Amino acid sequence: MKISMLAILIAASSLIAQEREAAPPLGTPKPFAVPAGDTFTLPNGMKVTLAQYGAVPIVSIRADIAFGHANESADQVWLSDLLIELIKEGTTSLTAQQVANEAARMGGQLNFNAGTDSSSAGIEVLSEFTSDAVKLLGEVLQHPKLPPSELERVRSNLLRQLSVQLATPQAQANQVFAATLYPDHPYGRLFPTETQLKQYGMEDVRKFHAANLGAQRTHLYVVGRFDPAVRKTIETAFADWSAGPPIARSPANSVAKPTLVVVDRPGAVQSTLRIGLPIAVTPADTDYIPLEVTNTLLGGAFTSRITNNIREQKGYTYSPFSQVLARFHTTRWQESADVTTKFTADSIREIFSEVNRLRKDPPDSKELKGIQNLLGGIFVLRNSSNQGIIGQFSFLDLHGLSEDYLKTYVQKVNSVSRADIQRITESYLNPGKMTLVVVGDKAKIEDSLKPYQPKPDR
Amino acid sequence: MSRLRSVAALSVLLASCAFAAPAAPTFTVPITYYKLPNGLKVALSRDTTAPLVVVAVYYHIGFRIEPKNRTGFAHLFEHLMFEGSKNLPKGEFDKLIEGNGGLSNGSTRFDFTNYFEVVPSHVLEDMLWGEADRMKNLALTEENLKNQQGVVGNEVKVNVLNQPYGGFPWLDMPQYANKNWYNAHNFYGDLADIEAATLKDAADFSHTYYAPNNAALALVGDFDEDQAKKWIEKYFAGIPSSKLPPTPDLSEPRQTTEQHFSKTDKLASKPALAIAYHMPERGTPEHYAMVLLDQILLQGDDSLLTQELVKKRGFTDSVDGGINLLGNQFNYQGPMLWIANLVHDSSVKPDQIVTSADSIIDSMRDKPVTKDQLNRALVKFRAHYYQDLTQFGGLGRADLMASYALFDDNPAPINDLENNLRSVTPELIQKTAQEYLRRTNRTILVVEAGAPSKEGAK
Repeated sequence: MKISMLAILIAASSLIAQEREAAPPLGTPKPFAVPAGDTFTLPNGMKVTLAQYGAVPIVSIRADIAFGHANESADQVWLSDLLIELIKEGTTSLTAQQVANEAARMGGQLNFNAGTDSSSAGIEVLSEFTSDAVKLLGEVLQHPKLPPSELERVRSNLLRQLSVQLATPQAQANQVFAATLYPDHPYGRLFPTETQLKQYGMEDVRKFHAANLGAQRTHLYVVGRFDPAVRKTIETAFADWSAGPPIARSPANSVAKPTLVVVDRPGAVQSTLRIGLPIAVTPADTDYIPLEVTNTLLGGAFTSRITNNIREQKGYTYSPFSQVLARFHTTRWQESADVTTKFTADSIREIFSEVNRLRKDPPDSKELKGIQNLLGGIFVLRNSSNQGIIGQFSFLDLHGLSEDYLKTYVQKVNSVSRADIQRITESYLNPGKMTLVVVGDKAKIEDSLKPYQPKPDR
Repeated sequence: MSRLRSVAALSVLLASCAFAAPAAPTFTVPITYYKLPNGLKVALSRDTTAPLVVVAVYYHIGFRIEPKNRTGFAHLFEHLMFEGSKNLPKGEFDKLIEGNGGLSNGSTRFDFTNYFEVVPSHVLEDMLWGEADRMKNLALTEENLKNQQGVVGNEVKVNVLNQPYGGFPWLDMPQYANKNWYNAHNFYGDLADIEAATLKDAADFSHTYYAPNNAALALVGDFDEDQAKKWIEKYFAGIPSSKLPPTPDLSEPRQTTEQHFSKTDKLASKPALAIAYHMPERGTPEHYAMVLLDQILLQGDDSLLTQELVKKRGFTDSVDGGINLLGNQFNYQGPMLWIANLVHDSSVKPDQIVTSADSIIDSMRDKPVTKDQLNRALVKFRAHYYQDLTQFGGLGRADLMASYALFDDNPAPINDLENNLRSVTPELIQKTAQEYLRRTNRTILVVEAGAPSKEGAK
């Protein structure tokens, strides 16, 4: 650890000795305003947000529906996926092929996603078709046929996807990591068993549909260039949808507990790592943005400490990254990396040492300022595409935030202090409480991982 | 409704009639194009939608023509371009970019290697300074070469060696379908070749290919054109040109016999299949016809192969693929493949899938497509193209401008893409299918699943 730091310092000083030109002075930053959304609610409870954006004649339309894997009980894992797949199979008045052709006529296809806290149905079309696309989305959401004739084909697709995904080391690692962090919550159940998936019948799908879809659960976003008259189209197209069930969410109760899980992948040339813990901070809390800044400095940027260490100094890995993942009322921090097998323990040691270094000493102000600038720049980028803007609005919705969150985001990022970073790391990122999942060649790595085996409870 | 309007607009254009119809809104990319005396091609496109600018430097050297005893070298060299230059030692350019709110990356493709930054507009001058510094003064050390050999080795491991279907079909298929080494070698590189690379290899490669007369610079975003031109002159004009070696013969012989290959993927739990056809030469009328055939056959839910293989036969959940899997239909210069690929259950035999696919592909040769099919294909293309122009601060736009500058010494034709596609007739589609979608023009690659399938497991 000291040696690696020394090497960095020596390399830097020896290069400073050369005659180096300084970078040109920067220009003056231009102002940036978050695109404004016009939000209203239909009488049936469906929320709508419209935002004009961009110079190119396209529009993104997406309905977020407040249901997903978080609404599945232990015997319903992936029932959301099965439902979504069947919604794709046509409506009471249009066959699946007619829906596909209609979407293509406007330039797009309907994209469905079964998510964790919310699922979505959306389409990207040429601006001239905005109104038709809203109508098509309305038809598909309100009048799905859910045809029993397609159940077995769709099920076999999900069984195949399950098998394909679980053959990847990343999915294997994610599965174990989630199950360890959230043992009693849907967040901990990423994959069903095949037996489970084979048992779901049409009745299960219909009940799940009735319990989870409806106007009150839905927020429709239209972002891009479009005729403002689309508001009338939306009001008409969704007017008859019943309010349906109210939004139901159950927060996860997760407690950080040190755990090491090694999943054997004989012959693997790399070990797939997941290191992290749940954090009781939500985006509505004042510590959330400081936590984001801390994460970015620690492992969330190319110039971050962990990435610089295990990739740019050591060459152990290609694309390590850390992230703060905000679910409903719970957040987690995790570092992910695929590292060369023989450097498995070295990589873990370096990751922990970077966390500990930040727990001990605050970053210098130049390093912090660079990370704050990066987050400010990413914020602009995130708010400068139709889909990015929808993503921002959707984040506010899930976490119950107002648009004020976006308006003050950059200012809050910039007000995080050096001491905040150290305090956040110390309070929330304790390696002694982290879950460590390693998917790799057990015979080659097991001995070296002994130091990370948690001590038995005293 | 709008269906009629679009078809009307299309037929007007096809007949080049004089009467005015309400044309669908289109988007024209504003482009300023010129060359510096040292040969650097410069393409500028202003767009003030967001206070961002994309800086993209493209070098006309892709993995196709890397040294024969150094597979993977073009890509390794891409990594070395991030390892420091005279005024920006290792890590400093990244800090300059991220520390001022930007993101950057690079990639190696068939016929170019690119480096780009997406930054707040006021950082533009620094990006031009930094890109010029690494074009002129790359400063490599043994230590940094060794480090990136480790990183690239890990990249190959995570994307290919430890990944089910790793390299399928994007890396595999060119090696099976092509006959000319330049098109048919392992572009990612054998690990032994990557390890064997020396500083001298890097210096030679740099002096030969990384010169202004072999490069294009594209700017897209919110900048002042006169100011940008002055900076480009200031930082790039003094970089000497190089003597470029003649381009090797990249041509592929006309294929006259169907090829079949199979490989076993020991990490995959389900079999997979890919079919590849050699493409007509880029920029020819037949090429535009293939762009639309790709839309008709493969892109989107309405596509004929999706309807046949997914919906009707239930062989798979998705047929993927397209033209140039490492880019798009336009950003390459040389032999190319159109590829369709899918994962299926072992209960389905590859022959059944090929027979089914042939029932669709043969129909393209046997009779002209309908106007309706052709119109949908065109609208789908336009919507994707417009999305591409707007994503990530305008990176897709910079990519096309730089590619056309490099390959054709003229980026203006990107504004003719839509018209060139509109000129394609059903007869040209049929004629193109007869020559290029011949069975004797194709390669079929079967992937046997070597991992124990979890089908039927509890």
